[in-house]
Amino acid sequence: MKLGFVRTLLLIAALLVACPLFAAEQKSFKIGVITELSGDLVTGGNITKRGYDLWAQEVNAKGGIDIKGTKYPVKLVYADAQSNPAAGAAAAERLITQEKVDFILGPYSSGVTLAVAPVVDKYKIPMITGSAESPLIWRNKFKYTFGTIPPINFTGATSIKTLLEMKPTPKSIAIIGSNDAFSKATAEAYKGAAEAAKLKIVKFSIVPSGQDMTPLLSAVRSMKPDIIAFGGHDEEHVKFVKALRQIGYTPKALLMHCGITDKAFTDAVGKDGDQIFGTTCWTGTAKTKSKILWPNAAAYAAASQKAFGNPGDYTQGGCSAAGIAFQVALQKIGAKPGMDEAMRAKLVKALEEVDVQTFYGRVKFATAGEYYHANVGLDPLTVQIQKGKIMTVGPKASVEAAAQYPMKEWKSR
Amino acid sequence: MELLPQALADGVMLGGIYITIAIAFSLTYGVMHVIDFAVGEWIMFGAFTGYYLNKWTGLDPFLFLPVIFVAYFGVGYLIQPVIHRVLSGTKGNPFLMGLVFTFGLAIMFKGLALTVFGYYSNSIPSMFSEGAFNFDVFGAAVTIPTVRLVGLAYALAITAVLHYMLKKTNFGLGVRALAQHKDAAGLMGVNSRRTGSYVYGIYVGISAMTGVLLGCILSIGAQMGNEYTIFAFFVVVLAGMGYLAGVPWAALLLGLVQSIFMIYFNPSHTLLAVFVILYLILLISPRGLFGKGV
Repeated sequence: MKLGFVRTLLLIAALLVACPLFAAEQKSFKIGVITELSGDLVTGGNITKRGYDLWAQEVNAKGGIDIKGTKYPVKLVYADAQSNPAAGAAAAERLITQEKVDFILGPYSSGVTLAVAPVVDKYKIPMITGSAESPLIWRNKFKYTFGTIPPINFTGATSIKTLLEMKPTPKSIAIIGSNDAFSKATAEAYKGAAEAAKLKIVKFSIVPSGQDMTPLLSAVRSMKPDIIAFGGHDEEHVKFVKALRQIGYTPKALLMHCGITDKAFTDAVGKDGDQIFGTTCWTGTAKTKSKILWPNAAAYAAASQKAFGNPGDYTQGGCSAAGIAFQVALQKIGAKPGMDEAMRAKLVKALEEVDVQTFYGRVKFATAGEYYHANVGLDPLTVQIQKGKIMTVGPKASVEAAAQYPMKEWKSR
Repeated sequence: MELLPQALADGVMLGGIYITIAIAFSLTYGVMHVIDFAVGEWIMFGAFTGYYLNKWTGLDPFLFLPVIFVAYFGVGYLIQPVIHRVLSGTKGNPFLMGLVFTFGLAIMFKGLALTVFGYYSNSIPSMFSEGAFNFDVFGAAVTIPTVRLVGLAYALAITAVLHYMLKKTNFGLGVRALAQHKDAAGLMGVNSRRTGSYVYGIYVGISAMTGVLLGCILSIGAQMGNEYTIFAFFVVVLAGMGYLAGVPWAALLLGLVQSIFMIYFNPSHTLLAVFVILYLILLISPRGLFGKGV
């Protein structure tokens, strides 16, 4: 009898302890994050992590996402995609079936995103990638996948157009891309823009990722192109610049899409990074206005500088903007943590209707066509590194500094 | 054909890089019969050591090569007994255990590097990074970057030193005896443990120095090891496992194939071409280019 009484007391005590914990767990949005925290794309993966973390940190500092007067904090649950599409798909499966996340913030690379998107479609879990840019993702029309960075075929032509305004007008271009989903798409976007602009394409090559490209660049040098455009990732950018430097060929313009806007690139290549052109859709000096979390791009860059010692680039910003898009859609439908399938379908609908000004600029997802579910609210920018700083040099409406053209010879730097 | 002289020059320079990656790897396989999957990570550690020494002192990274060799020789000397213990076990398959052990080391080193050095790619500046030699060969312009020429000279010097050590010194005689037959070498007075430790130390030291060179020519990052491990393995297999004299030729062949394929054919199929050639050679001569592998 006495033992039974003790057992009952223990059971009541356990329930009393467990109930508030259970209730507290239910009061947070559990968000899965799949990104590349190891492997070849670890740099980009960690940049996305910074963006997602900064958003979560800022939301939680304000008490959480305000849903009809009640604030729900957010909890990020990370899964490493290991820079490997198959590992990314497995991570998505684990986050959905075991961690029971409410929704997902997506990978850095297009390759991993393409592997994760069918999984989130299968389980009907909404995902926004704050980084992936390959047009292939949007052409597949995945219902549950969205992206805050416009696809490369939407942005890529901008910098070619800017370069065509330079004097003397460039007449020829060599285009090289690394052999992965994003870099290949970047090279193809440049090719499409160059063909449209009637630039003479003297070389178009896709090379295996991570290779020493010196022999190929030696061949390019003999063709003397005015512009060399390269699609690749951070490590390849460093190798590419060093190889051009070593063979002593300075094109009139060197164009690289992603990665050059991160401070780490200029730190790695030093003065050789000067005057390199890039395409982006956001910089820390972009003229944006917002009522959500950060009032403008400068405020975001300052918050990032404080948190990570780095003002952040367009990938990091895109990831924080992905969080904001979810936030806006959740508020619109009054969603609470622990969403069921019907609520998640409503969330997708709400995301399709999102049209909001953020520190990143306008976020508006396309609902049809080749950009289906990609953000088409942003205007692409052409940027150039000038004395270590990223300056917007085109299009005309956004210019911060005149473009420096042609490039100064490597040897006279 | 006006690009041919440049293609050949680029191929030879690339071959020089592959020699530096593979030569010590081949030596350690010849003696210890272990495929060290951590070769790329030793290269990476050496690269970061050179990077930080350059950053802290402002001196040219090439000046630190002797210091880096000595420091990493010490590290290799201390680690080898652990690998030796795994390889000399009597239960299971010690060779496979050795493979798994070095594979584990590689993963652990990579994780450690990511934590300590961060995830950004970087580069090591050197006084050799900026110049180049330009000349005409039958009317065709050829450029050889100074830093790559230094790399080739380094590769040839390391090869010559190792060759001299193996052929002309008593220590080298012991190493060769150990490579041929461990028990018989022991009976002739060769201390297999100590010799193995020296060889592994030399291998780790050379790999670390190679990292500095690669940081000057290409780039450095915590994840850089993978690709160098693959190329080291490729060159050593092509040369014949453990056949040191074959390494320079295999490395040059690999460099030339890559360079010529990149210039004259479809660059996206470069690696495919390289591996098809490797398979064909191994089909014809399973013990490597010269048929002298273990």
